[in-house]
Amino acid sequence: MTQFVLAGVLGLLFALGTFLVLRRDIVRVVWGVTIISQSANVYLVTMGGLSGGVPILSHGGHGGGHAVTDPLVQALVLTAIVIGFGTTAFALVLTYRVYEEHGTIDLLELGEKA
Amino acid sequence: MSQQFVVAPLLVALVTAIATLLTRRFGRVQVILSLLGGFGYLGAVAWLVSKVDPLGASNIFSYQLANWQAPFGITIVADSLSAFMLAFSAVIAFAALVFSASYVDSFGQQVSYHPLFHFMMVGVTGSFLTGDIFNLFVWFEVMLMSSYVLVVFYSGKEHTRAALQYVVLNLVGSAVMLLAIGGLYSTTGTLNMADLARRVANPAAYGDFAIAPVLGLSALLFAVFALKAGLAPFQFWVPSAYRAAPAPVSAMLAGVVKKVGIYAIIRVYFTVFGAAAISGLSLPGMSVPDGGSALLAFYGPILFVMASASIIVGGLGAVARDDIDGLLAYSSIGQVGFIVLPLAIAATAPTEEIRVLGVAAGLVYALNHGFAKGLLFLASGAVYDAVGSEEFPDLGGLTESAPWLSGGFFVGALALIGIPPLSGFFGKMLVFDAAGRASAAGIDGSNAALGVALVGAILTIAYFSRAWNRGFWGEPPLLVRNADAKFSLVAVVVALALAIALLGVGFDVVMQAANAGAEAALDRQGYIDAVLGAGESSGGGHA
Repeated sequence: MTQFVLAGVLGLLFALGTFLVLRRDIVRVVWGVTIISQSANVYLVTMGGLSGGVPILSHGGHGGGHAVTDPLVQALVLTAIVIGFGTTAFALVLTYRVYEEHGTIDLLELGEKA
Repeated sequence: MSQQFVVAPLLVALVTAIATLLTRRFGRVQVILSLLGGFGYLGAVAWLVSKVDPLGASNIFSYQLANWQAPFGITIVADSLSAFMLAFSAVIAFAALVFSASYVDSFGQQVSYHPLFHFMMVGVTGSFLTGDIFNLFVWFEVMLMSSYVLVVFYSGKEHTRAALQYVVLNLVGSAVMLLAIGGLYSTTGTLNMADLARRVANPAAYGDFAIAPVLGLSALLFAVFALKAGLAPFQFWVPSAYRAAPAPVSAMLAGVVKKVGIYAIIRVYFTVFGAAAISGLSLPGMSVPDGGSALLAFYGPILFVMASASIIVGGLGAVARDDIDGLLAYSSIGQVGFIVLPLAIAATAPTEEIRVLGVAAGLVYALNHGFAKGLLFLASGAVYDAVGSEEFPDLGGLTESAPWLSGGFFVGALALIGIPPLSGFFGKMLVFDAAGRASAAGIDGSNAALGVALVGAILTIAYFSRAWNRGFWGEPPLLVRNADAKFSLVAVVVALALAIALLGVGFDVVMQAANAGAEAALDRQGYIDAVLGAGESSGGGHA
């Protein structure tokens, strides 16, 4: 059950992110990119399998004998999240700078001035 | 543990980046440290190349970080392919660094230029050396993060707009790359490239996973690499970003950063996924053989279409441009097409011989494009520095006021056109040779490849003669007559021009190195043995 809910949520998140990336407002575009990369992170977590035991608590026989969830993907996601923080911060600063330079954050106006 | 030289270039670049960050209040010291670091990087790369020895033994070295063994830990691998890419990148980077020491204004240098430049080199080096596909993502991010800031360096109107496009596109690309990597991990159960190559070649022995999803996920990954390499249809960020960045940074973006995308395509598709056998695959208008290198054969036509489109789009775009930087940026799209075209032939080739020749042709062309385009962007920067404009209507007659600079530009242009004594001639000749041999072997589409290469070559001649006529010949306008080209900038341009001539004269060595690189790219078993160890040995790295 969890899998289906998660798959649905992931699909919705990607759809929302794509919708926002296609907006005219730069801030929304940045939001969209952030949401897409966050949903990529959530997707990455699901790749380790959801139904396993807890890796640390089950260490030493407490797991009841069944397989543990893969902890590696969580390490990967941590790395990806940190990178995501950095790039989002940069994108927001860049948005502000674009506003300072052009006096607008409307992509259509920005394109017309070119 | 005698394999520290594998990480030496990485460490040198990282230490230099941090050192220049710490000394930014002391302008002079910072620049000297930065140049020393660039020189040290050159030395570290030379050390690595001498150990790998692409002209002789062609060793493969792997370094297991913190001694965590290969499929689980992070591996750094140096083979002839990485050595080849690193060697020419280091030379171009050093030239660009020397150039920027007198080109970028002192305030800009103090603020952030040098640390960013070296962090970009850290990312580039890491991408060339990593043996782990998730780490490839991380190094890409390190490289891109610095290049974002370098593109927006002047932060004027044009620059912010170009950077916005570049950043958003690459962020979406990064998310897609993450998806592909996650999927590959979940399908194959590994992230280590050597382990991946082993498993993909023989899925039955490793949990019998489905091989078909690997094809789709590798296609997602391919889109990201093509974006980094600026291949059509992912080329649209190239012109504005290259024009916005300071000249030495454009030289780096076109000469080195783009080649990281090319390297990733060669490494991941020829070394890692090359052995995947996919059966029962059919797409409209495309037949893919079963077995052996079916996955590569699938990418062959795709590479061919993208390379041809790049050559045509880049060539036509360059002919239509009215400023040097724009022309060079479009030309760089076309030239990447020339690098990928022989790779497409190599992917579909039936024999090992043509395959090696194709990859080697791509490598030689990458080296030639790196040097020549680096030189041309630096020359364009020197022209801008001297005249204050790089629009063709404002230029003309530079041969009179700046003969050495014009000579440098001329050599670069000739190298890209492919005139005999220069390295570009051999690059083009190898592309035609690979296409011709494929045609003789009866591969579909190789005649079309010959045709596209010919059209591309003619377009190259067209736009460079146009640039030469309008920018350098004729009666100089007042602006140009008063131009005074800075000696240090011109010296770098002339030095690179000499290097191009030297590479052409001593081409035997380049060809041997490129051949070794191509063989390393195709030597899957050697790569796997070097990273994972032929047996279950423990301890440090393996030779």
